[in-house]
Amino acid sequence: MKSAGRYILPAIILLLIVFPLVFLHSNPYAIQVAGLIGIYLILCLGLNITIGYTGLLDLGFMAFYAIGAYIAAILSINNVSFWIILPVCMLAGGVVRWLLGLPLLKLRGDYLAIVTLAFGEIVRIAANNAVSITNGPKGLPRVGERFSSINFFSIKFTENIHFYYLILFFVFIAIVASRRLENSRLGRALVAIREDEVAAELTGINVAAVKSVAFVLSGIFGALSGAIYAHWIGFISPEMFTFWESVFLVAMIVIGGMGNISGVILGVFLLVGVPEILRDTLGTRFVDYRMLIFGAVMVAVIIFRPQGILPSKRRALELEAHV
Amino acid sequence: MLIQQIINGLTLGSIYALFALGYTMVYGILLMINFAHSEIFMVGAYCGFWFLSMLPFLSAFPGLLIPAMFLAAIIFSGVLAVLMERVAYRPLRRAPRLAPLISAIGVSIFLQNLMMLAVSAQSQPYPESFNITRFQFYGATVNSLQIFIFLLSIVLMVLLEIFIHKTKVGQAIRAVSQNHVVAQLMGIDVNKIIAMVFFIGGGLGGVAGVLNGMYYGSIKYNMGFLPGIKAFTAAVVGGIGNIRGAIAGGFILGLLEAFSAGYISSENKNIIAFAVLILVLMVRPGGLFGEEVTEKI
Amino acid sequence: MSEKILEIKNVSKNFSGLEALSGISFEVGKNEILGLIGPNGAGKSTLFNIITGVYPPSRGSVVYKGRDITGIPGHQAVRAGIARTFQNIRLFSNMSVLENVMVGRHCRTKSELFEAFFRTRGFRKEEDEIKSSACRILQDTGLLKYGNELAKNLAYGSQRRLEIARALAAEPGLLLLDEPTAGMNPRESAELMEMIREVRSKNIAIIIIEHQMDVVMNVSDRIIVLDYGKMISTGTPLEVQKDPAVIEAYLGTE
Repeated sequence: MKSAGRYILPAIILLLIVFPLVFLHSNPYAIQVAGLIGIYLILCLGLNITIGYTGLLDLGFMAFYAIGAYIAAILSINNVSFWIILPVCMLAGGVVRWLLGLPLLKLRGDYLAIVTLAFGEIVRIAANNAVSITNGPKGLPRVGERFSSINFFSIKFTENIHFYYLILFFVFIAIVASRRLENSRLGRALVAIREDEVAAELTGINVAAVKSVAFVLSGIFGALSGAIYAHWIGFISPEMFTFWESVFLVAMIVIGGMGNISGVILGVFLLVGVPEILRDTLGTRFVDYRMLIFGAVMVAVIIFRPQGILPSKRRALELEAHV
Repeated sequence: MLIQQIINGLTLGSIYALFALGYTMVYGILLMINFAHSEIFMVGAYCGFWFLSMLPFLSAFPGLLIPAMFLAAIIFSGVLAVLMERVAYRPLRRAPRLAPLISAIGVSIFLQNLMMLAVSAQSQPYPESFNITRFQFYGATVNSLQIFIFLLSIVLMVLLEIFIHKTKVGQAIRAVSQNHVVAQLMGIDVNKIIAMVFFIGGGLGGVAGVLNGMYYGSIKYNMGFLPGIKAFTAAVVGGIGNIRGAIAGGFILGLLEAFSAGYISSENKNIIAFAVLILVLMVRPGGLFGEEVTEKI
Repeated sequence: MSEKILEIKNVSKNFSGLEALSGISFEVGKNEILGLIGPNGAGKSTLFNIITGVYPPSRGSVVYKGRDITGIPGHQAVRAGIARTFQNIRLFSNMSVLENVMVGRHCRTKSELFEAFFRTRGFRKEEDEIKSSACRILQDTGLLKYGNELAKNLAYGSQRRLEIARALAAEPGLLLLDEPTAGMNPRESAELMEMIREVRSKNIAIIIIEHQMDVVMNVSDRIIVLDYGKMISTGTPLEVQKDPAVIEAYLGTE
């Protein structure tokens, strides 16, 4: 039984790599949906570090997606290479997150939620109003400008399928990073803080510093996905970063299973993938009712599975008996 | 100019205060953020709207019409809030902290889209329900609608204060807010009290919605969203769970918004409101009137 | 004569006008078990909170191993060598028993984000050590068989033991136990006391808050009695039991 389990992971990876090649001609839309799911996965895995592992409710995470996207857009219009833009965005996301965390992480849970919400709105409104930098509601790029394309050796990233692989790569990194974080001293410290902050501090964990690390790390993930998205879609505007988008992220994590990587993946598939697939198959009439059904389903799911569909389960460790 | 802003601010503040009370009362009794309260606000507004448009014969009796409209809004919103609690929140009383929040978000999405599909995605103009007369007051213009909004809010808030502090039910509400278990041991039906709190908070939110519709002259399916965040901000600034705090927070926010719109810029008034929120919480993490709930270690 | 590991010098604590502690001074020897008793509300937990850095005293100082640690934050107190348990058990409920103790090792280890991401050799060695030492502590406290159970599923008595095990993982020089036998029957209490004596034999000083008089009188080397925030008596269990001030403080409280 165990030896069969060892092949599941490579099989999934193989499937993911081969998948778009199969659909390339029959259903190119599927590749686009997959790419979108991937972007949301990176976002949610990042947010999961804050909400799922550390238990800090963040309702304005899209602000960091926006920061990544806008910095990437502005640099890209000025012909900066994507491979430089990436680390710059990640750094920016991390630094802003760190600065934000300094005063905010001291707040009690619900208050933190509102303040992150407020920050999210501030970023969106600022993006809307700072027309000289961001072109306001008209978005970037401006007429006559374009984002420069991503070049990887001799390949120019122009098709959805290129971006699919790029996103897949980063999703993979995000998953590995999350797993390694989970099973480490730092990861245990995060969960301890989620369980009982006071006990964590009095067990020797520097709660303020550890919370900050979790907070910053998630900001880096957020900015990263924003930078990739901007280059892929080729257009960003403030309405993409609303409060409701932030809320959806939280919903994906909580419904899928907070603090559980598989749960987060499931949540993203359900809340991003299913509506997209339904939109494609059921057509325009469905679109009107889509959100209505979505809201009802959200309530139903959380009532029947409050801990999420795949609740977080700590891995069983091998117990050593000493003589 | 200053007086004008103060007048505008107090009017706005009245609406925010009534709206904020719903958030704070529910938080006080369940320690939960009722995200769908903004939709109660919206439904209240639509209720008033329907009342006015479907009973045109009553417009001959403005003296009856207005109170009836508000009564309808209060009852409808209040009942909706109670229903909301029963269906979407009560099953999650013992669930992890974030679960009721997610449920509330789901309810919010559902109600918004229900209204959008049932009525229209466009904004509806709110019918004029009474003649507005304008007065001059030290160089500023006040109109009777503003005065009405302000007075109605004050009356409702005073009634609420009396209810909470001088009646037995109010006492029960305060008891349950302190400690569910002990209140139950004292013979209080906790579920009924919670339902009552939702009814009152919802009713006040509905009134706020109607007033909002009257003041701005239009309603829309998503009209609750931004005022909702702001009203919640106001409740937190005042000290979430604290009724007087919510009232204070509402008026502070209203004045802040009026001054920002008047003296700085209209587009940035919301950023200012949110920035103020963050600053207040940094300095007074419990809100202005909030109790610092110190944990016993 | 054992040297002193902890000195409390004239500590007072004021909570918005309420004087919870005033003028508390005492010492704890390196190998001592000090019992801290007093009626409810006497300030015992407040004293613990001050020693472990939950909040600073309003006046006075706390000196640990010759170093003034007054007012340092909680995690630094643990790092310095002071660990504690709580009156209401505070475990990490949704973590396993083993993980709870592994978290206890946090301040004695140092792998950070980089090491975790890249799974460096130092990281892996440290993780092994953490698990290994945690298992050893669980074995010593009789909890190893519950290793992969969630802490919240443990029996009450075992939960209290787990809290002590977690505290021991930090390799403290001083262990503060806040009513460890609360809710236990006499047999469980006796077992716990055995465990405490064993802890002391490892050169760890202990301060124990207790309400069960037979337990605390039996296990302590010395006793301090608090009442209304003041120290009203100190001495050996026998001396304290006979002290009229102590008898009066407890009169009517039973």
